[in-house]
Amino acid sequence: MSDEEIRPAWSHHFSKELLQELIAEGPLAGIDRDWAWKDSAGKGVRVAIVDSGVEHDHPALGDCVRGGVIVEYDARAEDNYRIKPDDKPGDMSGHGTACAGIIHSIAPEAEIYSVRVLGRNMGGRAIQFAAGLDWAIENNMDVVNLSLSTSLEEYFGVFHDLADQAYFKNSILVSAVNNISGPSYPSLYSSVVSVAAHEEKDTFTYYYNTKPPVEFGAPGIDVEVAWNRRQYITATGNSFAAPHIAGITALIRSKHPQLTPFQVKTVLMACASNMRRQGK
Amino acid sequence: MNINQDNFEENLSAQLQRLLESIQATGRAALPKSNDALLSSIVETAAQIFGAAAASILLVNEEEEALEFKVSYGQADHDLVGTKFPYDKGIAGYVFMTGQPIATSNVRQDKRFDQDFAKSTGYVPNSILATPLISAGDRILGVMEVLDKIDAASFDMQDMELMGMFAQQAALAIDQSQQIENIAEILIAGLKRLVEEQDNPAELASALDQAGNGNDSLSEMLELADLFNTISAMGKSERKAVMQILRTFAEYGRSAARRGRNVR
Repeated sequence: MSDEEIRPAWSHHFSKELLQELIAEGPLAGIDRDWAWKDSAGKGVRVAIVDSGVEHDHPALGDCVRGGVIVEYDARAEDNYRIKPDDKPGDMSGHGTACAGIIHSIAPEAEIYSVRVLGRNMGGRAIQFAAGLDWAIENNMDVVNLSLSTSLEEYFGVFHDLADQAYFKNSILVSAVNNISGPSYPSLYSSVVSVAAHEEKDTFTYYYNTKPPVEFGAPGIDVEVAWNRRQYITATGNSFAAPHIAGITALIRSKHPQLTPFQVKTVLMACASNMRRQGK
Repeated sequence: MNINQDNFEENLSAQLQRLLESIQATGRAALPKSNDALLSSIVETAAQIFGAAAASILLVNEEEEALEFKVSYGQADHDLVGTKFPYDKGIAGYVFMTGQPIATSNVRQDKRFDQDFAKSTGYVPNSILATPLISAGDRILGVMEVLDKIDAASFDMQDMELMGMFAQQAALAIDQSQQIENIAEILIAGLKRLVEEQDNPAELASALDQAGNGNDSLSEMLELADLFNTISAMGKSERKAVMQILRTFAEYGRSAARRGRNVR
């Protein structure tokens, strides 16, 4: 693998100096934000948060949390994991609640499902993560927020399969790129919507980057987020950028349910803040 | 024959001496002698690089499923050392469980940060940047935290990225240092077994027992393991030269033992 490929998947793509201005040509020029999501609040869209859990009764979430599951590592189980229903989910850290809060602030009518995949067993981390993602796809989640990733090479194939499965089952995976340099899965796959943080504060300011590994940049620096135990904190990381794009994706899917994942990605790209329309 | 043997001993001794000198000259002496010293130097450097008032390292304690404060620098001071957190508790726990760094500020509002605990140490940080320490084999060894950015309200993305790189290097050093200690333990255990099979092992056995208690013998073994490490990193010709010396020395030792002499 060359140095180029393992460069940190980072926000510098979205700095003022490096940000590319893109030009919307042909039919792309006809796709704007009004068409894409105006008047949408995410109604009817199911969003899974694969993370540390979601505090269902956090004041920042209204009553958007509709249920969820806990994926536990279990060495004795057939596939080494167990899935338990979690109707009134909680959050063991606050991180999943932060993601849910961002999505809810953008798409207040979207239904949120907690898929808790973190636990004390370190050896089962990637297994839990993969099983949680599988659950979300099999349960027809329209959008899956993955502010988690794995860097384990041996899971490259597993997550690649899951990403393909999601793509053909019409489930859009929105994945934060790793905060540490080096490859992380599934954020690197082309069917996934990968997101890093940029320095802007406005919720709807997001950029498209044509150069891999990271395609979208959204707010993720010093973001005021909900945290567990009904708290709020200021947090920084690509983790908090992904839910901004997941929220906007929920708006688009609600307004245009017929669009497939690659079409939704195209709409996201066409409406990016660095996209200029001819004549505008 | 005797004259040749003496020449040989003299040559060997001179060669070893030169070798030791060259190894020291290449900076081997700059390496910390123990894991604790290594950890201290890492947190101190981290605090300086990232403009933090304090820094600490928590390492995995697998038996207790906990993260244990191993070293701490700055205001948090040494009271923290030895304190344990469950894997899934607090910001360090999240970083440990996910392998992802996180930066937070306004932590006073964050009850995840155990207020009672922080108060008991008299130090509540306002900003935290926590990064996993990941070994080359993708094992998470623990978490490194820098606390309270000086001159800014919070740590930024650049800090996070740089700390990720710094933590990678730190994790490699910690992993290696732990392995060297493990090698010494394995070496000692192996030698003990060997000794138990011998006829008159008392003297050697007691020396090895003492070695296990961290006295000079142990540090010599650590140094030996460390030397192998350093030499193997130097290059092929150095490795070959050292192998040749060691083989000759071992062969000489065996023949000396057959003649009832000690190798000196």
